[in-house]
Amino acid sequence: MARYSILRRTIATPLILSALLLAFALIAWFVGSRPFNQTVIDIFLQVVFVVGLYTFIGNSGVISFGHIAFACLGGYVAAWTTIKPMMKGTAMPGLPDWLMQMEIPFWAAALAGGTFAAFWALVFGAVLMRLSGIAASIATFAMLAMVNAIYSNWSSVTAATSSVVGIPIVRSIWPYMIAAILAVFVAWAFSISRHGLALRAARDEPTAAAASGINIPRVRLIAFVISGAIMGAGGALYAHSIGLVTPDTFYLGLTFTTLSMLVVGGMGSLSGAVLGVLILSSLIQVLRWLEAGVQVGASTFALPGGVQEIALGVVMILILMFRPSGIMGNSELTGLRARTEKPVEPGTD
Amino acid sequence: MSLLALSNISVRYGRLTAVRGVTFTLAEGEILFITGPNGAGKSSLLRAIAGVTPPAGGRIDFADHDITGRAPEDIARLGLSMVPEGRDVFGSLTIEENLMVGTGMHSGTRGWRARAASELEAVYATFPILKERRHSQAGLLSGGQQQMLVIGRALMTTPRLVAIDEPSLGLAPNITDQVYERLIALRAERKLTLLIVEQSSTRAMMVGGRMMLMRGGEIVLDGDARALGQSEAMQAAYFGYGEH
Repeated sequence: MARYSILRRTIATPLILSALLLAFALIAWFVGSRPFNQTVIDIFLQVVFVVGLYTFIGNSGVISFGHIAFACLGGYVAAWTTIKPMMKGTAMPGLPDWLMQMEIPFWAAALAGGTFAAFWALVFGAVLMRLSGIAASIATFAMLAMVNAIYSNWSSVTAATSSVVGIPIVRSIWPYMIAAILAVFVAWAFSISRHGLALRAARDEPTAAAASGINIPRVRLIAFVISGAIMGAGGALYAHSIGLVTPDTFYLGLTFTTLSMLVVGGMGSLSGAVLGVLILSSLIQVLRWLEAGVQVGASTFALPGGVQEIALGVVMILILMFRPSGIMGNSELTGLRARTEKPVEPGTD
Repeated sequence: MSLLALSNISVRYGRLTAVRGVTFTLAEGEILFITGPNGAGKSSLLRAIAGVTPPAGGRIDFADHDITGRAPEDIARLGLSMVPEGRDVFGSLTIEENLMVGTGMHSGTRGWRARAASELEAVYATFPILKERRHSQAGLLSGGQQQMLVIGRALMTTPRLVAIDEPSLGLAPNITDQVYERLIALRAERKLTLLIVEQSSTRAMMVGGRMMLMRGGEIVLDGDARALGQSEAMQAAYFGYGEH
């Protein structure tokens, strides 16, 4: 009964977020321009990544710098399973025969990428989840560096640092939108689940959580695996959106963009994860247009190049100055008025 | 048959010894107050019993299990529920979520959902204010309400023994009265065993039961709360008179 009530009370959040994502897709569909389409696809992929990050970071409170490693694992699964066998033979001759012959559709590659990443999340997580605080964060970063080093050097299987091309490109926005919405629902379902609840309790008060019978490393591991799966699937789709992968596609750049989107949106909130992406990506897009030049009457107005990065940095600083816990903080979009209950004055006891 | 038995328990933090050689047993249904001045080792002892700070030496038995050095979550599963000092509610969770967290450890056993639901109703019946505000964030509650919440949370695990660290800390006396009233009622209803740490012996004398006085990491007095509270030995031991 209590379970049912928590479901009913919180279902509005993923529904509102899905509606927002659908709205972005519809805009792209109506505009119908190829570059804009690509931008919206990028936004959906970022949503998948940031929601994947939220699933672990938001619920556990442990910052992970390593999740993009799982996207890397997923991206290469897409390369291994969808490129034409002939092309694979030249680029990655070391692949086992069954993998060499494999040619599966992109959505199956996304599922395979998610599964492969989840498996490695389980292996890495079994060790990492015993750590906490900054030690855990540094260890996740080490994991990212390890994966990057392996993929940059294992030339017979990953073509080392050169680009692996020939991944079938999927240009329709709908699969990406569906993936983003699925990620939102998975993240939501986890955070209201028994394990999600336990993990959030452990984030707030580890001692009291352990005294309430919560095995903290275990619930953290569950979140790590689920978020790894989301990242892996996202990585595979990312590969299909641009048609190629290199180890550095999935390294520091993507790590810091996705993390800053999560921080700006609000680490403890699923709505924050999605809004962080939508707001920052929209801002980047607007700045790009302005840099390219806009017609105002007879004259063309254009910002000098490089303003995009600076403006983005300024906006992020401003948001974090005035809302240090991100745009959403710990709260979610619920469709009702935001919960604005005032704390009872301590003196009234 | 004792529910909890400590023999020769010591707790160390680095080179500092907080608890030295504590031995006692606690029978089912008993109420025991551990009192003593600041730094006597009361909280350390409680944390050692709950497994939060593993003891440096000695042995602890609870409900026929050797729990020495076991993880706190395992000890909680056996039915020993600790309420840590400082009312640490899970601030970003709602009251109801706070209460449900503890029932997770029984998941998978037959009928746990039904039992969790009935436990929830029982806690709400004991602390009606929690039901009233069940969907508010726990971090927004007042001190007294938070204290009720953490006690309620401990009860949700259907424990046999509840160990509470300073339930009256920072609470107005009338709120403390309420909290104790509920605790005493619960003990009678459920045959709960209570182990309560309090700095002052006043509360123990009002409630009655057994009382131990700790000083310098050792138990210096053990006896009936009311009788001890009025004795001069208590005063002397608490303040350390006659040792100089």
